[in-house]
Amino acid sequence: MTSARGGGEEPRARVDAVWKLEAARVVAALTRMVHDVGLAEELAQDALVAALEQWPAEGVPDNPGAWLTAVAKRRAVDHLRRAQRAERAHERAASEAPGTAEVPDDADAPDEDADVLRLMFLSCHPVLPTEGRLALTLRLLGGLSAAEIARAFLVDETTVSRRIADAKRALAAAGAELAMPGREELAARLRSVLEVVYLVFNEGYAATWGRELVRADLCGQALRLGHRLAALAPSEPEVHGLVALMELQASRTAARTAPDGSPIPLHEQDRGRWDPVHVRRGFTAMLRARDLGGAPGPYVLQAAIAVCHAQARRPEDTDWAAIAALYDRLASVLPTPVVALNRAVAVARARGPADGLALVDALRDDPRLRDYHLLPGVRADLLRRLGRGEEARREYARAAALTHNDAERAFLDARAADVAAPAAPTTGPTLGDLVDGFLAGLAAPARRAYAQTLGRLVRDLGATTPPAAVDADDVARVVHTSWDGAAATTWNRHRAAVRSFAAWSGRPELADGLARRAADAPPAAPVAPDRVAALCADPAVPVRERALWSLLHESRAPVRAVLALDVTDLDRDDRRTHDGAVTWRSRTARLLDELLDGRTRGPVFLTDRRPGPARTPASADRCPDTGRTRLSYERAEYLFTRATGREATLRRLRARA
Amino acid sequence: MRYLMTTGENSRRPDEALFAEMGAFIEEMTAAGILIATGGLEPGGTTVTSHGDEITVTDGPFVEAKEAILGFALVEVSSHEEALEVSRRFRRIVGDGDSVLRRVMGP
Repeated sequence: MTSARGGGEEPRARVDAVWKLEAARVVAALTRMVHDVGLAEELAQDALVAALEQWPAEGVPDNPGAWLTAVAKRRAVDHLRRAQRAERAHERAASEAPGTAEVPDDADAPDEDADVLRLMFLSCHPVLPTEGRLALTLRLLGGLSAAEIARAFLVDETTVSRRIADAKRALAAAGAELAMPGREELAARLRSVLEVVYLVFNEGYAATWGRELVRADLCGQALRLGHRLAALAPSEPEVHGLVALMELQASRTAARTAPDGSPIPLHEQDRGRWDPVHVRRGFTAMLRARDLGGAPGPYVLQAAIAVCHAQARRPEDTDWAAIAALYDRLASVLPTPVVALNRAVAVARARGPADGLALVDALRDDPRLRDYHLLPGVRADLLRRLGRGEEARREYARAAALTHNDAERAFLDARAADVAAPAAPTTGPTLGDLVDGFLAGLAAPARRAYAQTLGRLVRDLGATTPPAAVDADDVARVVHTSWDGAAATTWNRHRAAVRSFAAWSGRPELADGLARRAADAPPAAPVAPDRVAALCADPAVPVRERALWSLLHESRAPVRAVLALDVTDLDRDDRRTHDGAVTWRSRTARLLDELLDGRTRGPVFLTDRRPGPARTPASADRCPDTGRTRLSYERAEYLFTRATGREATLRRLRARA
Repeated sequence: MRYLMTTGENSRRPDEALFAEMGAFIEEMTAAGILIATGGLEPGGTTVTSHGDEITVTDGPFVEAKEAILGFALVEVSSHEEALEVSRRFRRIVGDGDSVLRRVMGP
């Protein structure tokens, strides 16, 4: 039976819709049959291609899901028979008894649900990098195409295809099986699945402010994955906690954005616009989690906080004491700076802004929150409520300078403007003016060196701050938060910049909190060559990183010089740059070929993401074809230290033994 | 996005097998987070009409059996095609008849 009045339906759209509903089941069943998730997905794709070829001509089958499963399984059986024949031939050649293994019987009624759950564990396997887990999960369990995933994560399609391929290879290399994790492993593996689902949700939820609907659909994907997981693992309270948390957050989607796209804070939202369907499903999931009992985990606690909000009909009815108590418990099981900041907000509501401010101020030294715009944002709110208008205004301005979201920046600027103008308007130059004046009087090289240090000072203390309001403690806090972990020479360079500026502005005491540091211990020990070889051959690591590490190791060139290379600088035939400054050998040559893959211009090493619309980097640092920007030293360093478990830095990669 | 599917009379007689099949289908769709709400509707009902300041309440509408709306399902899907696919699965269970699918605007 074909659909007579298809409502303009195209076979492709129909195949796609069927696939999104059936992908998880089909791929899970195939993986059980062939014991290889990569092969299972290929077989499933073959079945999809067959559908696209046959359905337009022969009509869409009555039960398209069953059709796809049947075709894919037939191909799997064919594959297994071929493999067995090959194996038997091999065994006969070795004069041994013929193999007796049979193609698994499809009629033994396997447990479809258990297969899907195992597939979730597999696609969120801890051997995979986070991006690999996200891409593989959306691909295998959500039935999304590489193009759809790429659009959702603002990367190009090749990157996503590579992440998926790398992930499959890494799973095969690790010998990861479609088996249920053992009891001792189960908790950690489940946490990984929950984390992936929540990351997918947050990626979509953060995007709805930008009205990017493709990305907002990620919320729907995450909710579906969450519900599916809850049905498959009904005795795990954290699973229900996550579903409750996502449902309650989803209930506020319509209410949290003003018609002009600007965000509306929770306590100012029109609660009538909270979607009761999501609220109800969130409450239901929460009740399930509570019925299961046990000590509440991070998702249940966060969901419990969301429940408190959802239960308050008006903002003033919110039970802040209960929320603050929940945050106290959450901070002990999930001790992240962001949770600590939210806890401070709750405490401020429950016990007053002064108590909250004390908690926030304790976080100002945390380098992880250095560029997090909500820290000055929250501080500003509390200062305003304490009547410290001028300080609040400066904090709003700092928060606005740190956010990457246009709508949010406009909102923070408006807040800053709302705060009562200072009682005695400052007439003298601001901190920003003073720094500009100081830098203008320097020769170019010194200006560039000092601009980084003083730019950070201005950003953190506020450009409009009157210099008299700044003291040595403020300066010391900024410099310590930013560069405490830096090498002694770097630290001393920043210190010199601050001292020079302080002396010039007639207030040398501003640098008093900064002690000179003894020079570094002997130069960093090199990374062992076989360690480098292993890193550069690890299929779980993206080719960009491997090419960079290999190049640094083989060329011994300075890290910044290598990151500054453009495709046009390379003479790939002669394995050197045109100016001869950087040379390399065969491993790097191979990795560079793989990395560049047809690119003819732009930086060699690019970031994963395109920059947001608000940030337009210099064109020399942007690839004209992909729009992505040059990989930064900081990011490259981070990727390397993460890959080596924090034991080595990029400089050690190029050090000589 | 959400769709409301309404359904008239279906040819298959409601027996135990139908209940079992429908129960499994509803359970699967709910677990997948797709089905939000579903239910059967009494035939006819009550009509509330406003005209100027006046509000009148009358029994009905009494329409022909084949035009009556007797059931509904509210579903959360990611595309129109997906809503159609869910409806197709429903129709395969209940025999001959019509379902009408409408996109729900908002919330």
